[in-house]
Amino acid sequence: MKILIVEDEKALLQSIASYLEKDGNVCETASTYEDALYKIDLYEYDLLVLDINLINGSGLDILHLLKKNKKETATIIISANNSLDDKLKGLDLGADDYLTKPFHLAELNSRIKAVLRRGKFGGTERLEFNEILIDTRSRTSYIKDKAMSLTRKEYDLLLFFITNKGRVLSKEIIAEHLWGDHSDMVDNYDFIYVHINNLRKKLTDAGAKYIKTAYGSGYKFMED
Amino acid sequence: MAEPTKKIKLLRKTSKTFLWISLILMVFSTIGLYFYVRNLLQNEVEEELRSTEARIESSISGNNPIYQLAPMVEVETVSNLGAEHLKDTLIFDPSQNEIEEFRELITFSKINDQNYRITVRALIVESEDILIAVVISYLIVILFVFIFLFYLNKSRTEKLWNPFFKNLEQMKLFSLTSETPISLMDSDILEFSELNTEITMLTDKVRADYKNLKQFTEDVSHELQTPLAIIQAKVDTIINGEALNDLQFEQLSSIQYDIQRLKQLNKKLGLISKIENDQFTNISPCNLNHILKDRIENLSELYPSEILFESNEDVVLLMDAHLAEVLCDNLLSNAIKYSLPNTPIVIILEKDSLSVRNKGIRAILKPDQLFQRFYKESDEVKSTGLGLAIVKKICDLYGFQPSYRYSNNEHHFTISLPKQ
Repeated sequence: MKILIVEDEKALLQSIASYLEKDGNVCETASTYEDALYKIDLYEYDLLVLDINLINGSGLDILHLLKKNKKETATIIISANNSLDDKLKGLDLGADDYLTKPFHLAELNSRIKAVLRRGKFGGTERLEFNEILIDTRSRTSYIKDKAMSLTRKEYDLLLFFITNKGRVLSKEIIAEHLWGDHSDMVDNYDFIYVHINNLRKKLTDAGAKYIKTAYGSGYKFMED
Repeated sequence: MAEPTKKIKLLRKTSKTFLWISLILMVFSTIGLYFYVRNLLQNEVEEELRSTEARIESSISGNNPIYQLAPMVEVETVSNLGAEHLKDTLIFDPSQNEIEEFRELITFSKINDQNYRITVRALIVESEDILIAVVISYLIVILFVFIFLFYLNKSRTEKLWNPFFKNLEQMKLFSLTSETPISLMDSDILEFSELNTEITMLTDKVRADYKNLKQFTEDVSHELQTPLAIIQAKVDTIINGEALNDLQFEQLSSIQYDIQRLKQLNKKLGLISKIENDQFTNISPCNLNHILKDRIENLSELYPSEILFESNEDVVLLMDAHLAEVLCDNLLSNAIKYSLPNTPIVIILEKDSLSVRNKGIRAILKPDQLFQRFYKESDEVKSTGLGLAIVKKICDLYGFQPSYRYSNNEHHFTISLPKQ
């Protein structure tokens, strides 16, 4: 995938780029409004990660221009502004998703994959990992062609693991992905262990031992 | 502490003062007038008596027959001369057939070697009638004058103070959160005009400060997002970088936890300032039953025991849909956070109230501070301390009444809803 990241904070820009590159994506970066316009004009991208508040202009204008030129580029807005209005405005202009800063890179990665899976970007709504197959349209999962009975959260968890395969995921990242703002509600993360252990058991029972413990309290989804 | 003084209305006070002064003036001037006129009349009578007496004396010395007209004039011959005296006396008046009061002048004179006692009298009734007539007419006139002056004064004062009263009403209506500046009635009175200028300056300053303060909170919460995003991205990068040891991972994971707390704090402060800035204008009918069911479903996995929801009828409120969700979420999450483990949480929605109750160990120590920002009972539960403050802000915005009570080992949070 060819991705353009437009973000005026260079530190954040670098972190995002290096995270996404690990999955084999080609990442280009633009830290100014002009640079972004220039690159969009010259090249074609599969995906645009777009910050709204740029120093010399608004990311919304870039999005507007992109849509005017009828470019089939998937767009995810990242913004420090969490107002509903901005979000709606961005989505109205044709953005495919909206992520409020600060976010976990794993979260951004999983949103990117979700956007790209959508048919209009030539993706498939099926996700495979060895013997595991997930149909994101019907929200069902199969292991060795046998349907798995997963709860809603277990399904979300499995999808999150597979889209971030090979990455270390701390319980904080997982909690935030599953419960968003409410992840701080309970002090300990027992409720996460319950879901992870249930999912792990269901996978292990079918012979898939992919959920590994990393550094004692984190998780990593990978082949042996 | 000094006793608060009794408050009285300005117009009443000036009227009261006017009335008192009028009354005192009336009483003293009437008393003064009474004595002055009485004295005047007495002198008049005395002069008249003396003049009559002189005429009689001159008539006697002219050897004219002695003029007698009892009880007005009496002339007697006496052996010795006595001292002259002037007094009031009561005498039977045959013509009136009753006892009347007279002014009496008795003089002694020696005329043509004969000693005479001459008594001259005048009816006092007459002068008293005059006195009363004068005083009464004075009273009537001055009463009319005072009544006239009173109303004239009142209407003048009212007119004079009118800008003051109008502006006072404006100031009472003044709200910090209002977008429009205070509009005061101008006056041709210099002091009032100066007062207006000062008030306008003060309210403008207060409004600007308030706005800045609110803007500041919003700006800070907004500006913090970017550095937080960078920190978070870097921590994420480190976690996926070169091999760490368990302790390092533990610490990075703990940093992530605190970033999450900061994010929440930031988000909630931003939400509060947005509510205060009245930025939730997307008002639509919100079905609380649907919202509650949805929120309960979403949160039930975070709570090991049951969350019971009871409602007999649909409650639809006109409010911002997002705020309706936040209100339900915050009440619910508060109950989840502080509920005793393995006890159910009960939510009851009625036409005019929404109540959430959960088991607790003891009542809140300072229930009056419960809805304030950053109020925390203990450090046991890591909370931003803003959840209930947000509930209160939303309630204030829509005129709901939040309340708390503790009974049967249960915390009850009740939101009284207005009639729809």
